[in-house]
Amino acid sequence: MSLKVDGPGRRSRLLATLAALALASSATLAACGDDDDDGSGGATAEGGEITISQSSQPDYLDPALSYTVNGWEPMWLVYTPLLTYAHEEGTAGAELIPGLAEDLPEVSEDGLTYTLTLRDGLTYSDGTDVVASDFERTIQRVLNLESGGAPFYQVIEGAEDYLAGNDPEADISGIETDDESGEITITLTEADSSFANVLAMNFAGLVPGDTEFKNLTESPPPGVGTYEITESVPNRQFVMERVDGFADLGLEIPEASIDTITTQIIKNPQQSTQDVLNGELDYQQDPPPADLKPTVIEQADDRYEEFTTSSTYYFFMNHDVAPFDDPLVREAVNYGVDKPALARLFAGELAPGCSFLPPGMPGYDEAFDTTECPYGDPTQPPDIAKAQDLLKQAGADGTAVTVYGNTDDPTPAVTQAYADMLNEIGLDAEVELLDGGVYFQTVGNAKTEAQTGFTNWFQDFPHPLNFYFLVDGDTIQPTNNQNFGNVNDPKINDTIDELSLETDLEAVADQWAELDRYLIEPPQSSIVPYGHRKLATFVSERIDFESIIQHPVYQNDYSSFALKEGEE
Amino acid sequence: MAPDDVITATAGDLLGAPGHHAEGDPEDAAVVGGSPLRLAARRLRRDRGALAFGVIFLLLVAACLAAPLWANEVAHTTVSQNHLTDTVEQDGEQVNVVGFDGVPIGPTWEGEFFLGADQNGRDNMVRLLYGGRNSLLIGVIAALITTLLGVLIGVLAGYFRGWTDAVISRGMDILWAFPVILLGIALGTSLALGGLQLGPISISGDSLAIPIMVISVVYIPYLARPIRGQVLALREKEFVEAARAQGMGSWRIMRSEILPNISSTLLVFFPLLFANAILLEAALSFLGAGVRPPNPSWGTMISEGVDRIVTAPYLAIVPGAMLVLTVLALNVFGDGIRDALDPRAKIKAKG
Repeated sequence: MSLKVDGPGRRSRLLATLAALALASSATLAACGDDDDDGSGGATAEGGEITISQSSQPDYLDPALSYTVNGWEPMWLVYTPLLTYAHEEGTAGAELIPGLAEDLPEVSEDGLTYTLTLRDGLTYSDGTDVVASDFERTIQRVLNLESGGAPFYQVIEGAEDYLAGNDPEADISGIETDDESGEITITLTEADSSFANVLAMNFAGLVPGDTEFKNLTESPPPGVGTYEITESVPNRQFVMERVDGFADLGLEIPEASIDTITTQIIKNPQQSTQDVLNGELDYQQDPPPADLKPTVIEQADDRYEEFTTSSTYYFFMNHDVAPFDDPLVREAVNYGVDKPALARLFAGELAPGCSFLPPGMPGYDEAFDTTECPYGDPTQPPDIAKAQDLLKQAGADGTAVTVYGNTDDPTPAVTQAYADMLNEIGLDAEVELLDGGVYFQTVGNAKTEAQTGFTNWFQDFPHPLNFYFLVDGDTIQPTNNQNFGNVNDPKINDTIDELSLETDLEAVADQWAELDRYLIEPPQSSIVPYGHRKLATFVSERIDFESIIQHPVYQNDYSSFALKEGEE
Repeated sequence: MAPDDVITATAGDLLGAPGHHAEGDPEDAAVVGGSPLRLAARRLRRDRGALAFGVIFLLLVAACLAAPLWANEVAHTTVSQNHLTDTVEQDGEQVNVVGFDGVPIGPTWEGEFFLGADQNGRDNMVRLLYGGRNSLLIGVIAALITTLLGVLIGVLAGYFRGWTDAVISRGMDILWAFPVILLGIALGTSLALGGLQLGPISISGDSLAIPIMVISVVYIPYLARPIRGQVLALREKEFVEAARAQGMGSWRIMRSEILPNISSTLLVFFPLLFANAILLEAALSFLGAGVRPPNPSWGTMISEGVDRIVTAPYLAIVPGAMLVLTVLALNVFGDGIRDALDPRAKIKAKG
């Protein structure tokens, strides 16, 4: 089975929201100048206050609803789910650990039943006791509020009936809880090896059983976490304060150092960058704008670092529409796309590559992504002559092609460059730029018959299924289709079905890697991946840069932020 | 723009006898007897400032028309060709057209990349000239459509009065009540999303026809209202009554008696409408509701250049300067026409 994710939050629209979840492989970090950061910095001060910025208000400050990194980065530390991720960098940070549950779930042999037990003595930030039935309310809210995360939980038995019944208090038959013993049993309608990751998503961060069924952004509910949100004024600021006694709860989650984090919404990213340079802000959630990057590197190289995220940027080619229904044409395009040229359009914040699975993802094959790429080293110029030959062989020379892209920076430049590359290999390409707000719905509508265009994906969680549903023939639908290229290869579909049953991800990582090769290599040449996005950590001089953890799922970990000794 | 003022200044000139000119400008006493337009042309020829800016404007138009020549013969590229990984020789060294950090090359002051490159490595001079063609084309067509529709609506409302006038005037009031930019953005954005489907007419969202339509529509009231006022006065004049007494029908009176008498007003208005249309196009394109990339226009170029204002300021400054020069030239030349047609206004201003 495959997940069908409607959430728009996982695709970049503005730079502020494009940065969904970063996954930095240690190897890639080393390649881009990792400073052997082991999370233990120099002498730091305990406590203190910092002010940081986001360029736009997080979509929601309600765990049931938020589906952007703007929301997840802070709320990860406020709402802990039953399962969560270690506060570590690289692949260690992608490891599932028990959150509010005592242990990882026991999964039945048929993969349909997950059993967990809530830890004893847990309390929310307002002092209320945490009970097992709060989990059901948490999932009810996600479903009832029609959250972007709802599709992830619709695999739970009874979830569809719950939605159809339109009664927020109705029982979800697949969730059984016992407040006395703390036992939680979840029954699924079909096996889903990524469900443990789904339980670790921010949507499943527990909230009290009496939490209302409405968007609570203006007064976020209490949670269990190292911080609580004590003030929220949408479009102006929100304040997170350290929770006293969090360490006593005995979770495998480190306590934060900073007492108070005030996040201001500063719509001008240039201003934020200048403020961080001048020390008036301590951290900028969005990467510095490309235009100011040279200034940042010149003035603050010791507190700026880029890291590769678990994302893939690629062009889809519609297998159902000429000329891309011909594998030779798709192969030609793969040979003709100039990946290092595209990297320049991202101001260098794109690691050229040719694998679909991104760095850090189980199944990611670094050699295949780089030196063993079937279309040549992605850091080198393309083989235009070969591409032109293949196109001529296919008889597609001079075929008119419309290249779709959206108007969100830097997509227009990327789309125009891609069209120019298609023209160079012999196609007759024209650009069609659509507004960012309607782009993915338009190219995902079968009636559009979009031939080729821009797309990307940032991981929701570190499981290959979170990428492979995008090229699974079983997910093709007439509207809101996310498989834009209508990739429908029986071998790919069957392999996804087979691997999705395997709960031991490491055991099948090689098979995922093999599938990734099959997807990209000729004769399939299903899509045109061209790189993985880099993001950046940029802080003021007050912050101990060495202590910061760039988490693979939740990006910069505020709980690792600490002031340098002597800073107030 | 204050159209009513302009009309007030010119209306007397249009309606009055040649004697007005002789009164206003002693120099014109010698040429009493020529037609008003011929007299105006003579005065315009003496206004060296206006003529100079008129020539500048013509040079700008000529340069923009020669865009393909520059692209093919000098820059050896096209308006859409990317040069992301190319290098160019500068001071004896090979320099990246676009750096690894995305910073494009600045002006080389030589044939290729004379004004530098944009973020896609496209030749900025070529983009500037092609962008100018689009900006000027949109400006002139929009101004022509506004003039056509504005005259039609204004003359109908002023001549027929009554319910025709009431309906048209209230419609114009509603249109006028919207801030121009806001209305332009609303129309531009909604039309750009799905294009325009009107029966057999189908216009795609990225067509230049969209900004042309938007700009021409929003400026209609700025011309139609003063024209209506002028026609209201004209229709009571003796020569119109005489025509009516001779049995002329309404349409013929409008065509042969009214229209010739508002032609000078249109001559004054047209350069101003043209300049305003170019400015509005730039504003809408800057805000993403005008010309759609990859089509260049000065507005889209400024919009794209703003993102690089620190590392490549010329990307926004050069099209901005062209815009200022064009609008300045049109305005000064337009003022020259107005002064030529209504020397009294000039004297009042001097006084």
